[in-house]
Amino acid sequence: MPLNIDWQQILLHLLNFAILFCVLFFLLYNPIKKFMKKREDYYKNIDDEANKKLSDAEELKSSYENKLKASDEEIAEKQKAAYDSFSKEIDEQRAEAEKEAESIIESARKKSLKEKEDIISGAQTEIAEIAAAMADKIVKGNTSDTYDEFLTDAEKDEK
Amino acid sequence: MTEKKKKIIIFVIFAVIIAVLLVATILVSAQAKHESIQESMKDAVLHTYNKVNFFGLEVNPSVIAAFLITAVITVFALIVRIFVIPRFKMVPGKFQMLLEGWVNLFSNLASSNSPVRNKFLGGYIFTAGTYIFLSTIFELIGIQWTTTSGASVSLPAPLSDINAAISLGCLSYLIIMSGGIVSNGLRGVGKTLKDFSLPISMSFRMFGALLSGALVTELVYYYTALSYVLPVFVGVLFTLLHAFIQAYVLTMLTSLFYGEVSEPHIKKIRPKKAGGKTE
Repeated sequence: MPLNIDWQQILLHLLNFAILFCVLFFLLYNPIKKFMKKREDYYKNIDDEANKKLSDAEELKSSYENKLKASDEEIAEKQKAAYDSFSKEIDEQRAEAEKEAESIIESARKKSLKEKEDIISGAQTEIAEIAAAMADKIVKGNTSDTYDEFLTDAEKDEK
Repeated sequence: MTEKKKKIIIFVIFAVIIAVLLVATILVSAQAKHESIQESMKDAVLHTYNKVNFFGLEVNPSVIAAFLITAVITVFALIVRIFVIPRFKMVPGKFQMLLEGWVNLFSNLASSNSPVRNKFLGGYIFTAGTYIFLSTIFELIGIQWTTTSGASVSLPAPLSDINAAISLGCLSYLIIMSGGIVSNGLRGVGKTLKDFSLPISMSFRMFGALLSGALVTELVYYYTALSYVLPVFVGVLFTLLHAFIQAYVLTMLTSLFYGEVSEPHIKKIRPKKAGGKTE
């Protein structure tokens, strides 16, 4: 053979390489690759767990934010309801006060009217009494012709 | 004693040791060479004369070198598998990082070039890359072995032998073809056969590259005068760089072609001709 190529030696080299392949593949390459895969999985798991925890935390945060928002709305509603009931009460109290004030004014007006009437009637009585006293005084003190004529006329009419 | 004085003393000691070794190499007569430089270089290429005994078979020294490397790697792999890998930590130490980096280099090469199917390919190029790299560096150690004629030879890099280069080149081609068959059946075979020159090019590229390094190293070490300082550069240039480059080239080419032939075939949808009435 040219270049001293020897098939037997080629086969011997192939045998040697096959042995070497088995040794290196099963004793070094595969176990080291497996270890690296295991480590990769380990860190990937940690990463996944961290991501999961992060997403859980995000979810929790958003749920708390929603709860906060809901409680804010509830507080606002309660505030509004309290304000409404308070303003309603105030209105009622105001209406009552107004009513009371009106009744007080009315009674005061009535009372003042009555007092006025009483004063007027008292004054009239007094005036009548004064007039009667004056008339009596006049009658008793000065008998005039006019009065006599009046009495005579009155007797005539009766007849 | 000041730091400067310590440095001077260490420097003087090293200089004396180097001088003694230098004189000794010149004074001690070298063993008579059993072959000329021409014969030595011709044998490095053709392996005609220097044969070694391998369980009763007369083989080239590269076969012994190949099995020796496999034995060393096997022992190393067993020790690592039994004592190191079970103690691997989530935060790696230096040695663990080296091992993981070495595995990752080939695993990534396989997955980037062949995204569809790469588990077996990763294992194959990991083995091939490790083998090429370590077997080329093995040349630097220069383990001596006795030939069948009784002479002593330095074990070469296995892949500087044409038989080893052909075996690895053809095996890589078969692996590429297997990827094509598994993914695309007969179409995969067709795709692989399209690059029929691949096993030859891969084999001879590796053979040529490693042989050139082996020849230069042989030339340098043959003469005593060239054996000072120069081997440092030769060793780095023709051994370490070849080790790295050839390991990278073969593994990259294998994974690239494997990825190409194992890519699932997608039928092209031809646009229908507009035969209907036009509005």
